[in-house]
Amino acid sequence: MTQRNRLPERGRVDRSRTLRFQFNGRTYTGHPGDTVASALLANGVRLVGRSFKYGRPRGVIAAGPEEPNAILQVGTDPATTTPNLRATQTELYDGLVCSSTNGWPSTERDLTSVVGKVGGRMMPPGFYYKTFMWPSSLWMTYEKGIRKAAGLGQSPSQPDPAEYDHMNHHVDVLVVGAGPAGLSAARTAARAGARVMIADEQPELGGHLLASRATISGTPAAKWVRRQTDALAREPEVTVLRRTTAVGYHDHNFVVLSERRTDHLGPDAGGVRERLHRVRAGQVVIATGAHERPLVFGNNDRPGVMTASAVGTYINRYGVVPGERLVLMTTNDHAYHTALDWHNAGREVVAVVDTRAEAGGDLPTEARACGIRVLTGHGVIEAAGGRSVTGARVAPLSADGESLAGTTHELPCDVIATSGGWSPVVHLTCHTGDKPVWSEEVLGFVPGETRQARVCAGGVNGTYALEAVIHEGVDAGKRAATAWGFEATEMRDLAVSVAEPSQDPSMKLFLVPHHKPVTRAPKQFVDFQTDVTAAAIEVAVREGYESIEHVKRYTVMGFGTDQGKLGNVNGVALTARARGKTIPETGTTVFRPAYTPVTFGALAGMERGGLLDPARFTPMHLWHVRQGAAFEDVGQWKRPWYYPRHGESMQQAVNRECLAVRQRVGMLDASTLGKIDIQGSDAREFLNRVYTNAWMKLQPGRCRYGLMLKEDGMVFDDGVTACVDDEHFIMTTTTGNAGPVLEWLERWHQTEWPELDVCFTSITDQWATVTVTGPESRNVVAKLCDDIDFSREAFPFMAWREGTVAGALARVFRISFTGELTYEINVPADYGMHLWEAVYAAGEPYGITPYGTETMHVLRAEKGFIIVGQDTDGSVTPEDLGMHWALKREKPFSFLGQRSLDRSDSRRRDREQFVGIRPLNGEAVLPEGAQAVENPSNPVPKRTIGHVTSSYYSAALGHSIALGLIERGHDRQRERLHFMTSDGRLEEAELCSTVFYDPDGARQNV
Amino acid sequence: MTQLTLPRAESPLHHADLPALAGQDQKGGLILREERFSALVILRGPDDDPGMRAGVEGALGAAPPTEPCSSVLGDDGTRLLRITPDEWLVFGPGTQRQDLMSRLRSALQGTPGRVVDVSSGYACLHLSGEALADVLKKSTSYDVHMRNFPPGKVVGTTFGKGQAYMLRTDADSVLVIVRRSFADYTWLWLQAAAEEYGLSIAG
Repeated sequence: MTQRNRLPERGRVDRSRTLRFQFNGRTYTGHPGDTVASALLANGVRLVGRSFKYGRPRGVIAAGPEEPNAILQVGTDPATTTPNLRATQTELYDGLVCSSTNGWPSTERDLTSVVGKVGGRMMPPGFYYKTFMWPSSLWMTYEKGIRKAAGLGQSPSQPDPAEYDHMNHHVDVLVVGAGPAGLSAARTAARAGARVMIADEQPELGGHLLASRATISGTPAAKWVRRQTDALAREPEVTVLRRTTAVGYHDHNFVVLSERRTDHLGPDAGGVRERLHRVRAGQVVIATGAHERPLVFGNNDRPGVMTASAVGTYINRYGVVPGERLVLMTTNDHAYHTALDWHNAGREVVAVVDTRAEAGGDLPTEARACGIRVLTGHGVIEAAGGRSVTGARVAPLSADGESLAGTTHELPCDVIATSGGWSPVVHLTCHTGDKPVWSEEVLGFVPGETRQARVCAGGVNGTYALEAVIHEGVDAGKRAATAWGFEATEMRDLAVSVAEPSQDPSMKLFLVPHHKPVTRAPKQFVDFQTDVTAAAIEVAVREGYESIEHVKRYTVMGFGTDQGKLGNVNGVALTARARGKTIPETGTTVFRPAYTPVTFGALAGMERGGLLDPARFTPMHLWHVRQGAAFEDVGQWKRPWYYPRHGESMQQAVNRECLAVRQRVGMLDASTLGKIDIQGSDAREFLNRVYTNAWMKLQPGRCRYGLMLKEDGMVFDDGVTACVDDEHFIMTTTTGNAGPVLEWLERWHQTEWPELDVCFTSITDQWATVTVTGPESRNVVAKLCDDIDFSREAFPFMAWREGTVAGALARVFRISFTGELTYEINVPADYGMHLWEAVYAAGEPYGITPYGTETMHVLRAEKGFIIVGQDTDGSVTPEDLGMHWALKREKPFSFLGQRSLDRSDSRRRDREQFVGIRPLNGEAVLPEGAQAVENPSNPVPKRTIGHVTSSYYSAALGHSIALGLIERGHDRQRERLHFMTSDGRLEEAELCSTVFYDPDGARQNV
Repeated sequence: MTQLTLPRAESPLHHADLPALAGQDQKGGLILREERFSALVILRGPDDDPGMRAGVEGALGAAPPTEPCSSVLGDDGTRLLRITPDEWLVFGPGTQRQDLMSRLRSALQGTPGRVVDVSSGYACLHLSGEALADVLKKSTSYDVHMRNFPPGKVVGTTFGKGQAYMLRTDADSVLVIVRRSFADYTWLWLQAAAEEYGLSIAG
């Protein structure tokens, strides 16, 4: 197909190169500089999609982000395809493949259009709202059909191979929009010395000047833009971002920009595809311009109906005239530019239909002088044609535009361009909660009052005359820079003048009346993407929806991927009219981020795969990997779970590891335990306050188990703390609680007891810990150390010694989490791997067996040792755990949580208490979390009286064991209860002591 | 005693074998060097205590700085980084490893100053190269522009999803200090962040 609508010259496309692309399976050509929309129009393609509800044929309406119809699925690769891209913003590259997202299953012949022709009865206005409100069970069924018919595109089905990232910026002035106002603001602020960032969603800076024939102080607009761009490039502290949309404006001038870096190069470009810029700006200049507002009339969705400025943009920027014969309908002088552009391109302007009674400004005069027919006091009430416009039905209007004043005649044409004025792009200003304000002068909503440090300039303020826009930009740049402490200098080259044509006032008109009432007239579309008509709005008001927010939800106006950029203001005006209220009384709906859709890739950035969350490793990790260990996540740590030997199941490996510790010797990487160095003359007193037990008499060289409670008396953490000297202690915490415990200590020290001389330093990462445990452990460690006496008398249980182990300075603790003779050897982490390998080598003659966290859990459960966070859940007191022995209530300064232990709830007789549980079937391992019931024949729902917290098979004992919290458990020894398993079976078990193995502790006292 | 030789030390990024990578011909926008086996000591105490200040100055040739986020150079390549109102990270080259701690401890006898050896607890990554600023902007929300982050300044901040101390050592380089267990994560992060600029390893 040839580009029959392409002009031989004019525009910013590079005609020396031809690009081929596919749309809905057909191949077309375009040029560098084209968007998919401009290229399709150049090829004479009218039909770009089908509508959401009625399946009506749709064409390109706009030339920017407000486009509701030309929404594409770009790319066919299941990993990189992107849905919902606006054809008007999708840059063409060679080989681009795209299809309509609206218009399943095919745009040309659509099944939903059959539905549409039945009158959309399946989906009357309010379908979305009503289905949400009550038949919720049916919503899922409805939604499948709606989503498919609505054509919201296909998500990629394969993992995205592209790279995405985030970048943080701090700037003095952020300028959003690089049209004439934004460029002037950026240059002024940069000259003042500010760090400036300017971002624009288009591939080139310039905004609407890229499609303008204006001259600025005698310089053509495009050349003026190039000068500003070059000047910005010379400023060292200016960052210019192209293809970058400001998608969210948040409190404290935190603005999120989404940059599309490679999509315009095609799918194989490589590099970072999209980048999310997180900008913290001192001052923000909003220079987002305005979108032209179409007029609402019958069948105004026929392909070929466009906004006047879009037609002008296609002609001037892309060298594309999107038809042969134009009818232009306008309420203002500005749109006459488009008629003149069309005329100058050598094609026929059938008529300008001006809704105003008179049009005497310079532009209408110029149009008439060119021989263009101008019909004043008329409106296009209806478009003729089916899949494309074939004519415009025109009728005279009453002076107020509310009714028709005569009969209709038809003007043959293939394009109807309309202009109802302009709507400032206030969306970003609204993201922070500012309410836009209706201006009768502008006939649009302009930014309202704000609490943010921001300035608006140009079209967003309703300032449209180019000279004024540039001066407003300069002023905004100056104000922003000085507000942020810079001294602004005069910008002589920006003191420009632009010859403006004289203009008559615009007419306030949104809906062009029809002979028939709104509800009977041919469909008059307000929001094209969601198929909301003027009639639907009237129905909504008639049904009693008064708030604009309710009308929005009832009609779904503004719910599309375009968020109703084109239709919202018309919708507000028609709601106001239907309610007999003013526009300010009606107000707007809330514009929320994102301004245009953002991909999940951009939001995720680098934080996916291995970088989703930090993984923490011990110095011995590589050894575990080489041994084929299975790993378990403990907080962010990767800990060896068990070390399966060839062909072993997890249970087999754990049984073997458990028996090795009980019979010979095992070794565990315990480096992840939290370790906190505590120093100060009040260190001992501090410990006394945060732990439940007594610390005044702990001697240097000794250690003690401690229990920490929150203020509510519930167990928070436990661990062993060692005394180095009177003013120096080393605390250990559970792996997962290392951070929270340090914060807890700091909080109490900093906010409650700053008078205590004590300081805390995390040394978790400084020390690597190898636990050597089992009857042979003494023999193993003695081989590696000759300056510590490991004899029972010299180095008793709950003591620690400093010495040299395997050549490294070490702290050795004789404590035990297994019930066996145990030495925990700590060395600086640099020597962790060395120590681990030395222990392994020294232990080999004794059959030393590395074991993981699962075996650690089984061994401690056999001894009834708790794991905080597994056997406790923040609602368990030390007394519930049977740890009365750890409470020292007579301390001069009561420990944290002490008073809460005397609350009536803590003293309640029927609290759940920590018990051992022995299943009668010794092969059955109860599921952790299994609920306990007294009598299984009770009716459902059965009252449960507790649950299993830990459960394992004990190889040493030859049967399964469990721990749990059971109502009045301490008084129920040897009672039998029934535990419900997840598959609905019941297991009977007997309650017993929590210490299953070596109840006298003989094995660790050797 | 089966162990007679000196114990073998491994730096936090030992497993990445950076020395082997450093040997390769490379042109990267980001240059990474692991400062292996540096001496690191945490010093705690009231910043206005004359005894502690004199003790530190006697041992290192510089008193602990009191200006937030500042650092000072001491003798023999040592540097004191102020990281909280009563906390300093004392950084020394590897040659100081054996005695930095003991020198400080004896100098602080009788004062409220306390020291903790954390030489093994952190990975110290020296970053430079023309893409340094961009890589840092991807990695931290802190403002790393020279106007805000000049040489000598030290901040504790986010790095990826972890935390780091960042010291601007000079106009062209930054020392990133992360907890040892986060070293591998930070290494992966930097590889990803620097991919578009190229990454070189310095020995």
